Amino acid sequence: MNSNGQVVVATDLSRRYGEGDAAVDALAGVSTGFDRGQFTAIMGPSGSGKSTLMHILAGLDKPTGGTVELDGVEITGLDDGELTKLRRDKLGFVFQFFNLLPVLTAEENMLLPLSIAGRKPDQEWLERLIRTVGLEDRRTHRPAELSGGQQQRVAVARALLSKPAVVFADEPTGNLDSKSSAEVLTLLRQAVDEFGQTVIMVTHDPAAAAHADRLITLRDGKLVQDGRPGSAADVIELMKQLD
Amino acid sequence: MTSLALKSLWARKVRALTTIFAVVIGVAFVSGSYILTDTIFAAFDEIFSESLSGTSVVITAENPVEQDNGEIPTVSASLLPRIQQTPGVKVAAGAIFTPGGFFDAKGEKIGSKFSPKFISSTLPGSLESLTYVKGHRPRGPTEASIDEAAAESSDLKLGETIELVGQGRVRGFKLIGFTHLGSASFGGASIAQVTLPVAQALTHKLGRFDQISVAAADGVAPETLKRRIDRQMPAGVRVETAQENADRGSEEIRDNLSFLQTFLLVFGFIAVFVGSFLIFNTFSITVAQRISEFGMLRTLGSSRRQILTSVLVEALAIGLIGALVGIAGGFLIALLLNGLFEAIGIDLPTTSLVLESRTVIVALLVGLVVTLVSSTVPALRSTRVPPIAALHAFQPPPSRRRRLVYAVLSVLLGLAGLAMVLAGLFGSGDAGARAGLMGGGAVIVVIAVSLFSPRLVPPLAAVAGWPLERVRRLIGRLARENAQRNPSRTAVTAAALMIGVALVTFVAVFAAGLKGTVAQVIDENFAGGLVIQNSDGFSPIPNGTAAAASKVPGVEQVATIRSAQAKLLEGGRPGAGARVSAPTSNVEETVKIEWKQGGPAALRGLTDRQAILSDSFASDHGLQLGDRFRLLTQTRSRPTYEVVGEFDAKLGVFGSVLVTQASLAREFRQTQDTIDFVKTAPGADAAQVQALLTKGVELAFPTAEVLNQAELKESREEQINQLVNLIFALLGLAVLVSVFGIANTLALSIHERTRELGMLRAIGMSRRQVRTMIRYEAVITALIGAILGMVLGVIFAALIAQPLKDEGFTLSYPIGELIAVLVVAALAGVVAAIPPARRASRLNTLEALQYE
Repeated sequence: MNSNGQVVVATDLSRRYGEGDAAVDALAGVSTGFDRGQFTAIMGPSGSGKSTLMHILAGLDKPTGGTVELDGVEITGLDDGELTKLRRDKLGFVFQFFNLLPVLTAEENMLLPLSIAGRKPDQEWLERLIRTVGLEDRRTHRPAELSGGQQQRVAVARALLSKPAVVFADEPTGNLDSKSSAEVLTLLRQAVDEFGQTVIMVTHDPAAAAHADRLITLRDGKLVQDGRPGSAADVIELMKQLD
Repeated sequence: MTSLALKSLWARKVRALTTIFAVVIGVAFVSGSYILTDTIFAAFDEIFSESLSGTSVVITAENPVEQDNGEIPTVSASLLPRIQQTPGVKVAAGAIFTPGGFFDAKGEKIGSKFSPKFISSTLPGSLESLTYVKGHRPRGPTEASIDEAAAESSDLKLGETIELVGQGRVRGFKLIGFTHLGSASFGGASIAQVTLPVAQALTHKLGRFDQISVAAADGVAPETLKRRIDRQMPAGVRVETAQENADRGSEEIRDNLSFLQTFLLVFGFIAVFVGSFLIFNTFSITVAQRISEFGMLRTLGSSRRQILTSVLVEALAIGLIGALVGIAGGFLIALLLNGLFEAIGIDLPTTSLVLESRTVIVALLVGLVVTLVSSTVPALRSTRVPPIAALHAFQPPPSRRRRLVYAVLSVLLGLAGLAMVLAGLFGSGDAGARAGLMGGGAVIVVIAVSLFSPRLVPPLAAVAGWPLERVRRLIGRLARENAQRNPSRTAVTAAALMIGVALVTFVAVFAAGLKGTVAQVIDENFAGGLVIQNSDGFSPIPNGTAAAASKVPGVEQVATIRSAQAKLLEGGRPGAGARVSAPTSNVEETVKIEWKQGGPAALRGLTDRQAILSDSFASDHGLQLGDRFRLLTQTRSRPTYEVVGEFDAKLGVFGSVLVTQASLAREFRQTQDTIDFVKTAPGADAAQVQALLTKGVELAFPTAEVLNQAELKESREEQINQLVNLIFALLGLAVLVSVFGIANTLALSIHERTRELGMLRAIGMSRRQVRTMIRYEAVITALIGAILGMVLGVIFAALIAQPLKDEGFTLSYPIGELIAVLVVAALAGVVAAIPPARRASRLNTLEALQYE
């Protein structure tokens, strides 16, 4: 564990795509840390590097420079097998699309990461999560029989089930109507408040960002703002200023 | 639109490669079959013309009835002086060219097991076709030469002793020369040459020739000479120019080997048929994946016809490329097939490979037609894409009604196919037409099953996946669910393997039945006896073998059976073929005959003008006790026989007509035994008698072998196994195509599931788990095909066996072999999964997640 209690620490991260004249710097020296039990939103215009930052933090992409320490482990040098183990043990994911396996039921989808890792679920915790996401009567339904919001709530439950060090959410509301969006965000908020879960979310939706404890904003691969998000209106105002 | 089609093909060239490959294999097999058989024909043509290069006119006996062992009737030596005195004849001589056996000084067989071996006589002057590469022509009664290739393969040296056996006792000769005939390999056939009197003595053809060769004097045309000689020849003698003789030889070879061409082509078209499933599936999947592309084209104003054309042009391009590459691959297949035949001991003569224009035309047609036909349904589906599909990949699932229509259609189609098979099986008429009906019916049944099988995929996947789910709960479950996700896709993929497995099962079950039946017949009928047969299993054994055997201590009796082919004269014209057997009157001492009419007395008292018929032959030709019938024999004799008995045809050793050996000798000029049965004296030790017999008989007649009951069964089984293994090897290519089909479908499905795979990797699935999941999916697909194929194969075998029941055929199921087939199918799945599993496990998680 990091000395100041931060669960993820990024130091001087840079990421360059391509070579020579065509090279693009998606990240140009980003350093930041994420506190345990905090809900962070990452925003920024298209091409700002917000997704790249999240991907690198989650070990899905490798930086061209700098390091990432996740729950006390330096992850930038890990090989595929070690990264797979890291994802099983310490990470949870919620994506925008294709979050669930269409061939499994809602409950089976929640249990999927544990099944993949060959672990037994904590039954009590599972029941509590299913109640929390409000899908007690939908557990044997297949994704095709669920609404978009319900599917995304299954995905959140799946991410929380292994009690990971961090849950990464990549545009979790990008594909949802506003009512379903609100439900999913409330759920993530609840996870942070009730279970002490650390959540890092990339979004372009100011309303989503308003649910977070902390908002960081990227632009041209650099960190340009770091603070409390305030209300959705505040976030919109902030974005305007940064433009 | 055409250029768009070709561009889009080019853009997806890697995926197109597997489709092209399916066309290539089928076309290569078809054109390879043609190339090989054309090459064999060309080689024979070369042999015929080479061997007649210095000859103008050839005199042979007419051959009204073909014999199983290819023996032809002889002409009398008394014709020779008349020919020699004909004006315009420079030189004329009689020749012997008769099958025999060769052995080296150690008694080892020279040449491969099934290659024909001929004893030939020397010819004077330009008539001689063999050239001597070493040594000289045999000049005395103790000298012999042999062809270079045989000498090389058995490492023979000049001055050594070789043994030759024709129709009598084996004789030793001093090897004094190595010969060579033209440029073609003689098909592994060996020729030993001795002087004419020696050749006649060896083959028991004293006073007779296989042919008389004539060289014309300078300035005399072969045609003129032929007419002059022909005028002096009696009926039944054929006079031909060398050219005519060579042409007839070529034609007869083509007739005799056309079965080989048909046999190989059948397997070629099986590979094409299997390939069509792969092509259909690839086009269906790519059309489905390109829905939004077609929608976009429609919004831009493309007509349905244009979309259809673009897909069909793509198909034609694939067919054309596949056919062209397939023709080139045909050369490789021809060499492979030749190697396969050599490996099982059948040497076919070859020269440089021959590509006829017919081969090119058929190959192109096969390639184009199969791709066009297989892509038509997917192409039509592409035209039904509405413009709105450009916006979201919208794929209307097949409606309940359409699924019901498919199911009803497939059941009707299956019944129609089954009816065709049954009509072919039990109907009357031409054997070729019936085989065609059965084959066509089988193809329709296969198509019907594959149409219906989407409904069978879920339960079969559950069965096939069960053990995998036991081993790896989640991974097995996911693999099974993935296989079930698109049942029709899995069904078509599995159907390709189903065809191969059905054929393998059919052959295995049928062969097992055949072996079981043969074993049963041997057990029931030759209890305790010993059998003497030719070691190749089908040729006759030399004269004198039985006499030698009966002198061995412990032998009580020897019964012999001789046989020949004849034709039944129907209204004075030669009609149905009949296999005539002539047993000695004591045959019932060693072989059990089930009498329907008459009885043992009829056989013991059989006169040379009487015959006993098999019950099936009698009923086929409406012959009853006391009726008379006439046969046409190979020597143009037309003997009349009176029916005095009927026996059950179940027993394989007898043909359809039994006559006396004296009659067979006189009317058919056949004096060699096909098989001898030995009854040991009571109290004699069978093993000891066999040892004595082996020593006494095999030494003097090395082509003969003495077998006890178990060995006889083994020898028959071995013959069946050899054919079965050949068929399995030929079906291997069809199975290979279906393995490619599984790999291709998986690759396309994985492509569709890219983002899903990314998600699985992101939430902790390891590369190994991804590979295992895809491997299991392939194994499940393969097992679905194998199970369906096995059921079909067993049903077909049971059907085909039905009419054979009367002849004593009983079906048996080789459980061990069938399990092995399932295991091999599962392994085929594992192999098919290697490339797609590799690709899936190597997917970059991040890119996969962002994949549109």
